[in-house]
Amino acid sequence: MNLRELWDRPLARAWMAVALVGVLGCCFHADGAFFRWPTHRDMLRQVAVYGLLACGMTPVILTAGIDLAVGSIVAVSAVAAAKLIIFGGVDPVLAAGVVSLGGLALGGLSGAVIAKFRVQPFVVTLAMMVLARGLAKQLSGGQKVTAYAAGLSPTEATGLLTGLDTRLLGDQLATVTAIMIACAIFTWVLLRRTRLGRHIYAVGGNPEAARLAGVPVGWTIFWVYAYCGLCAAIAGLCQAAQETQGDPDTAMGYELDAIAMVVIGGTSLMGGRGGVGLTVLGVLTIGWLQKILSLNAVPEASRLMATGVILIGAILFQRRKHA
Amino acid sequence: MPLTRRQLFPAPLALALAGCGASSNKPAARGRGTADAPWRIGMSQCNLGEPWRVQMNRDLTAAAAAHPNIELIAKDAQNNSLTQRAHVEEFGQQGVDLLIISPKESAPLTRPVAQLYKAGTPVIVLDRAVQGDAYTTFIGADNRKIGEAAGKWCANILGGSGKIVELQGLMTSTPGQQRHEGFRAGLALAAHPELEVVFVADMQWLEPNARREMESALATQPQVDLVFAHNDPGAHGAYLAAKAAGREQDIRFVGVDALPHEGVAYVREGLLDATFAYPTGGAETIATAIKILKGEQVPKHIDLATKLFTRDNVDAGGEALGA
Repeated sequence: MNLRELWDRPLARAWMAVALVGVLGCCFHADGAFFRWPTHRDMLRQVAVYGLLACGMTPVILTAGIDLAVGSIVAVSAVAAAKLIIFGGVDPVLAAGVVSLGGLALGGLSGAVIAKFRVQPFVVTLAMMVLARGLAKQLSGGQKVTAYAAGLSPTEATGLLTGLDTRLLGDQLATVTAIMIACAIFTWVLLRRTRLGRHIYAVGGNPEAARLAGVPVGWTIFWVYAYCGLCAAIAGLCQAAQETQGDPDTAMGYELDAIAMVVIGGTSLMGGRGGVGLTVLGVLTIGWLQKILSLNAVPEASRLMATGVILIGAILFQRRKHA
Repeated sequence: MPLTRRQLFPAPLALALAGCGASSNKPAARGRGTADAPWRIGMSQCNLGEPWRVQMNRDLTAAAAAHPNIELIAKDAQNNSLTQRAHVEEFGQQGVDLLIISPKESAPLTRPVAQLYKAGTPVIVLDRAVQGDAYTTFIGADNRKIGEAAGKWCANILGGSGKIVELQGLMTSTPGQQRHEGFRAGLALAAHPELEVVFVADMQWLEPNARREMESALATQPQVDLVFAHNDPGAHGAYLAAKAAGREQDIRFVGVDALPHEGVAYVREGLLDATFAYPTGGAETIATAIKILKGEQVPKHIDLATKLFTRDNVDAGGEALGA
């Protein structure tokens, strides 16, 4: 394989984007902080929630859809988990199961409306975004759900809620990062090794042709959104654990970050082309970029402008094709 | 072009609304300040999506409940100035005896408030100001003074020597700017050459952002003695980052707001060293409202004093600092 063929592969280009950000980090290493593993461990912790959302978003975007509700589902899941565990005294594992099913149901509801009534995913998930945010505020009564409100001490709260905010492998990897990695692997298997995965690519490539070929288009769309909701619920559990509370206003706008990560990776918004491996690289690109800007204490205004410029650059870079 | 049904839709709606306005044009009977005919007080809150404002409403409701001769009607404008303007107009139509408003922004609400005030209804403006002087009294706390009190306390507790991290609220917002200015004035860096602010970042009032920024501060700064965050969730996020790095024992954490279930609880549990109250003024507002309704004179501007909560005084209800 020559260089040009390599350059044609989206995966190679996504790796190049990651490498470029890495070079940027090596240039602006903030007194060597970029060369120490804890910096990267913390970066991987910080992007885990976004990464989980991006993993769920990838199959949606592969069907040429979009899910704007994931940020709100994170909030409602965080609130529900905190409520169940702190005030309901429910076993955390059981609570996680209930919350995950809740996310699956909310996502599935979006998917069902999109598939059954053929409404634009943008509109349906926009409605779900508002609905789920309202649900989060309703469940929480507009206040953060904390152990303090229940009269528990933080140590009790740590045992109950923050089991996910720990580290593995001798303190080298955050548990939430491991969950994100597991989710990415599961999504990869789902997309590349199952019938549903083949159907997802078929629906995204050409829904009419897929239907004629006997692909159950409606069911495929339903499951894609349900899975996205499930990932968002798991992200919500991770968010609640890291914040040690259920905040109804948390994860505002996270859906846009998740979509940006998928697109930066190289998955096409037009559907049918891309994959979760690319998404992981997109997550790393944005995560590292934010970390480098933060390490160097770049002021907010410059940070936003730099992020915008670099995102556009990365996308153009992704798109580049030789003549 | 023929009118479609969609274009016609707003017309009957507008007619219906106009009809409502006309039919309820005569003001309802005013209260007399007895249990049978209580004074009715309209309260328009700009956004109940923020915990601090939820607390403000709770404080107002609790204070009002102690007085059978007043009735509080609370509305939430959901962060929309025009909704809030409608509240003011509705309260005017209802003929409330007094209006309490915590405006979202000054410009769009100045005129509606002035109209109501000039028509004879007393108005208490809470926390955020309107332009001009067409209102009865303004009640609010001073972010700059709170920042200054915090700065002085921090310089003092460090014995005039140490390395400080400042995690700022949104620096495009007035509270963020004022807390920052006040904090720097209170620190008096020129008079304390051993005192140094080594890391500054904008965490936009958000706990996850504060945790990320604090991780960067810890990665680049071998010594950090104190973190001042512009709100308690920020200080809590910084604490969590330091705890994950095993450095929480070496650092003092100071926040602002002191909500009962947030900052005060964090101090009580020993997570934060201090928090400075940004008072909601609920009790003072109701007391002032009753004075106005009884025909007594009240000052045009009422400054709410901050309170300092530390581990030593938290169980005694904090220490009031002069306004």
